[in-house]
Amino acid sequence: MRLPEYVHSLTFRWAVGVAGAFGVCTLLLFGFVYWQTADYVIAAVDTIITADAKANGATTASDLSRFIRQYLEDDPRRVKLAELFTGSGTPSVGNVAELPPGLPIDGMPHTARLARLDNRGRETQATRAIARQLSSGEVFLVGHDTGLLHQVGQVVTRALALGLVPAVCLALLTGTWLSKRAQRRIDEMNRRVQRVVAGEFKERLPVGGYDDPLNRLARIVNAMLDRIERLIGELSSVGDDIAHDLRTPLTRARAMLERGRENATTLQDLSESVDGAIAGLDQSLAIITALLRIAEIDHSRRSAAMTTLRLEEILRAVHELYSPIAEDKGVSLRLDLHDTAAVSGDRDLLLEAVANLVDNAIKFTPEQGAVALRLLQRPDGPVVRVEDTGPGIAAAEREAIWTRFYRSDRSRHAPGVGLGLSLVAAIVKLHGFRLAIVDGPGCRIEIACHVAGA
Amino acid sequence: MAKVLVIEDDEGTAEEIVTALGDRGYILDRAADGVDGLQRARVGGWDVLVVDRMLPELDGLSVIETLRSEGISTPVLVLSALNAVNDRVRGLRAGGDDYLAKPFALSELAARLEALLRRPAEPRATVLRVGPLELDLLSRKACRGRRELELLPREFQLLEYMMRREGQVLTRAMLLENVWNYRFVPQTNLVDVHIGRLRRKVDNPDEPPMILSVRGVGFMLRAAS
Repeated sequence: MRLPEYVHSLTFRWAVGVAGAFGVCTLLLFGFVYWQTADYVIAAVDTIITADAKANGATTASDLSRFIRQYLEDDPRRVKLAELFTGSGTPSVGNVAELPPGLPIDGMPHTARLARLDNRGRETQATRAIARQLSSGEVFLVGHDTGLLHQVGQVVTRALALGLVPAVCLALLTGTWLSKRAQRRIDEMNRRVQRVVAGEFKERLPVGGYDDPLNRLARIVNAMLDRIERLIGELSSVGDDIAHDLRTPLTRARAMLERGRENATTLQDLSESVDGAIAGLDQSLAIITALLRIAEIDHSRRSAAMTTLRLEEILRAVHELYSPIAEDKGVSLRLDLHDTAAVSGDRDLLLEAVANLVDNAIKFTPEQGAVALRLLQRPDGPVVRVEDTGPGIAAAEREAIWTRFYRSDRSRHAPGVGLGLSLVAAIVKLHGFRLAIVDGPGCRIEIACHVAGA
Repeated sequence: MAKVLVIEDDEGTAEEIVTALGDRGYILDRAADGVDGLQRARVGGWDVLVVDRMLPELDGLSVIETLRSEGISTPVLVLSALNAVNDRVRGLRAGGDDYLAKPFALSELAARLEALLRRPAEPRATVLRVGPLELDLLSRKACRGRRELELLPREFQLLEYMMRREGQVLTRAMLLENVWNYRFVPQTNLVDVHIGRLRRKVDNPDEPPMILSVRGVGFMLRAAS
């Protein structure tokens, strides 16, 4: 038989578990009540029969016979039992048919089933009974019915049935309801997730008012979907940007070649057109190469090429490399090394990252301006800072500049493929460093590093 | 004529390389997988090998390692779609002599092959001479004729590299790699600026120029004619 699906749900299992535990506790409680009551009843009966067994001090068979007749006369509820058995075990006076075989004849109260024999016939009764032997060999037996115990048991069982069964049923019903409700919500979530999988990235999971785990999960998933939607948006806009940025130089190359074919009259004219076309194609290739490189760095892991290297050496190298460029542009390039620091990294990539930042800084700094390359020491590690006296980056643009192909309106005219900062971001991320733009005059970009070995 | 073996599985790339190098007067043969390539390389008679990093049957690095272990020291240029630093290091460690990442310009490939074919004849010479230019590696002095050139350390290195490869086309990437030991494509025409400074010191306006720009490829130093 196949069980319905909700039976396997955690909520339902919890409900079954709680119902089970409740049942066991109730059973134990009622058992204890019954046991205590029975104890009390038996103790009371024992007191009675111990007194009765003394038979008012009678010791001889004839005295006892008289006592028994008198004793049994006054018993409207038919709870008293007494008998005098001869030495051979035959009943002589009283209402008990036979001496039960298991009953010890020791003058102490014991539980026994006695066969009552009176004018109404023979009937077995549950009793507490005392048997003792007379010096003349006869056995005197006194018993008292304990049917009351049976009644107590019945009362307890009935109470149990009336209380426990509905409680357990209620627990199971609640469990079923809760798990069915959860199941419905999960089903709804699944339907929506399937829609997302099918490509509807606007879809979100339903979130109720309460702060239960399912709602919290839905909120987490929704936040993730927000991020995915944004990334996909960026991706498609990157696609558009790539197409746009590639089209410009390719169009130029095509125009050059066309002009060469139609207008060139000398080899000189033709080779000029071809050179122009090659320059256009080179730019397209540069864009593609840069994109491939970013993708490659994005996908590579921290690798064996990471060695311990000195940041000040990298800064010195970049400074040396760019000094003539800055000078040609009339910009001063200062190197400010107050400290030394070793980090674990890939020399070529870090050089490239710092060089790109300096390249940008020089590009965007007007003549007579200054670019500074600094190595700072912070409590959480060394920081490479590139600052310039250029126009700076507006707060609104700070997020966007790391995206591929982003060119601020002010930089549209500057040469470059607009991928430099994305490349820097990719390299910094690969190293587990942090990249930040800090406030200040001009533009200040920082790479916060970890110390080697940390 | 120099004989070049191209071991490259990609039909398009191989054809481009063969055509372009053929135009430049090389004698070419091509192998399309590692096993075939290794066999042909073993036969010998090649001046330089162009080996793709990823090859069917036997990958490029294994081909090079095998050749080197057999004592075949033909210069090898490794081609690769991967530009990761790791990969370059592995390529050179396996016994490659130079490394070029795809996509590359054919002029870059040609310049690098030329450099491999014409290794500096006397690497231990302490004085280099090209025409009127003289470079003393011990005293770190540079002269053009009787005029002494005041060079910064890096300019000295740059001039040394160019003089050792007199008459060869040197691309910007080659200069960055070999003079500065940098392996990236800068956004700005860095190399041009550095060459420009060196040129102003080497070639006075009244002297015939020795440092020449090779359009679309790079630079060349040669004795003024």
